[in-house]
Amino acid sequence: MSKRKPHIICITGGKGGTGKTLCAVNIAVMFKNEGYKVLLIDGDVENPNTYLLLNATLENKKEVLFFKPKIIEGKCSKCGICAQNCMSNAILHVKEAFPIPILTVCSGCQLCYKICPEKAIEADSKTIGWTYTTKIKGLSLMFGELKPSEARSVTIVDALLDKLEEIQKYNPETFEIIILDTAPGAHCDVELLIDVADIAIPITEPTKFGKLDLIRIMELITLLEKEFRVIVNRSSLLGFREQFLDELEEENIKILGDIPLDSDIVDSYCLGTPIMDENSIYNKEGAGYRAFTTIYENLKKWLEMI
Amino acid sequence: MKRKIVGVVSGKGGVGKTTLTASLASLADKDLMIQVIVIDCDVDAPNLAIILPPKDESTIKKEDTFTTRKAEFIEDQCINCKQCIDNHFCEFNALKWNRQNSIPITDFLKCEGCGACKVLCPEHAFEIHRIKSGEIISYNNIMGFPLIYGKTQLGSTTSGKLVSDVKDYSTNIMEFEKSNLLLIDGPPGIGCPVIATISNLDYVITISEPTPSGLHDLIRVIEVIRQFNIPFGLIINKSDLKSPFQDDFKKYIDETGYNILGKIPFDLAIPKAMSFAKTVVDFDPDSKASLAIKLTYENLKVNLWSNSLI
Repeated sequence: MSKRKPHIICITGGKGGTGKTLCAVNIAVMFKNEGYKVLLIDGDVENPNTYLLLNATLENKKEVLFFKPKIIEGKCSKCGICAQNCMSNAILHVKEAFPIPILTVCSGCQLCYKICPEKAIEADSKTIGWTYTTKIKGLSLMFGELKPSEARSVTIVDALLDKLEEIQKYNPETFEIIILDTAPGAHCDVELLIDVADIAIPITEPTKFGKLDLIRIMELITLLEKEFRVIVNRSSLLGFREQFLDELEEENIKILGDIPLDSDIVDSYCLGTPIMDENSIYNKEGAGYRAFTTIYENLKKWLEMI
Repeated sequence: MKRKIVGVVSGKGGVGKTTLTASLASLADKDLMIQVIVIDCDVDAPNLAIILPPKDESTIKKEDTFTTRKAEFIEDQCINCKQCIDNHFCEFNALKWNRQNSIPITDFLKCEGCGACKVLCPEHAFEIHRIKSGEIISYNNIMGFPLIYGKTQLGSTTSGKLVSDVKDYSTNIMEFEKSNLLLIDGPPGIGCPVIATISNLDYVITISEPTPSGLHDLIRVIEVIRQFNIPFGLIINKSDLKSPFQDDFKKYIDETGYNILGKIPFDLAIPKAMSFAKTVVDFDPDSKASLAIKLTYENLKVNLWSNSLI
């Protein structure tokens, strides 16, 4: 096994529901089956689903805290400097009154706390979500969860990336393969995850929506200067496979593989038993199983592992 | 009829928000009592325009938005004191120290444009600029009614603010006054853009499918909707999916007693219609899915207007 630094692979896709988590979980499982030390990070903190697909339990729950300004009225001179300098307009100040923080729009920059001349603002905190780490079926799994009705998902993604950075710094040999699963869309959470990866794999489907969102996520991946190859999921839908793959080829988009519609995949998805499990109960001659095997071989070739 | 603003969300992506929004919009357009405006707030991946393209390209209006701010380092002002790093001006880790030149460098992606560096630097070596955060596009679509959508500038990081801008924009168009239904296609997830989408709505439609992740994400998005105290109804898509999770899903939905607006069976007419960039109710009006969507539409109308003065 190689002693080089781990491969970091980001599974993303732009459009929702194209099979990002399905691919992330099964690719992680295939590497694990061959004896690689694998870390799977679910960076879709708004809707973390990898643990459902792996039937994992929530363990090692850790709170993610976010700054909350607390006005100490005994010290406050009501000067209003905090409110004047807050670009998010998250502090309401009326003359002769104590300032009132508006937490829903606070960016957490802590400027108010840092510039208050009377030191009348304390850096208090609130919980906006959690991170979890667990081991399941020989995989290390790390994921975050945004507390419903909180907005700052990027802070939870940051907390996950901090953990990753720590591992990379102090125990770089713990993992050989690190798989990142992203949220749908192309916003800051997705950007940060693609940015820390070596390569990206966008998952798409052979529909007009799939194509449009693929183009957008490809633009983002290119902006971040990463190499990528595409997986086309549900490729057998209505016989669009050939046409869709041809279209991608014409546009010089590299394809890692395609996954046809397959009832084993639906069952494995719903039961939390990955189709590519070491002791898979599913048909190894089935279309889904064979598709993933091909994708895995192509991925290893791409990473120059074989 | 009193104007209602209705949003479609799902938690999980890819369960049919856009497909259903387009179908409901088409039914509303044919309904003589309804004047509809459709808004796509999935600003990261706006797709509604594929099914509802403009009637006349020349009527497309585009407007750039500049709600994103980013810091710029002004090297001439810097005296290399390193206070910005030592005193941790930036809470977003967007300031790093370049040892070679003894100056800070700003990380464009991580910068939130909060202005802390600008205010705290004693030498005024940082400035804050507005940059393009996205664009708002509006036109009358082939069916006739207005479509408005936002599209983020990649790398600009602020989807939530653009969602609010798109919503504001739609209340300022000419057609708004005589409209009585604003139908909003929402983004997936439960974060900032979803919260921006559902704030101040009259009603929320949630879509789910009978899979563990479909249910898991539905529960999370309903928790958010409840915080805002907005009435909501549920549409179950692919309701007859051959899934080992069907029983668990049914049990959960029955026990909660959620208001079910409709159940749409799995029907190849939907992807077929999609491949022609049509709504299923226009492409194949008698298909199983179309009939279910028409029922859903009638239920939605009852939910929206039965309790208020018409």
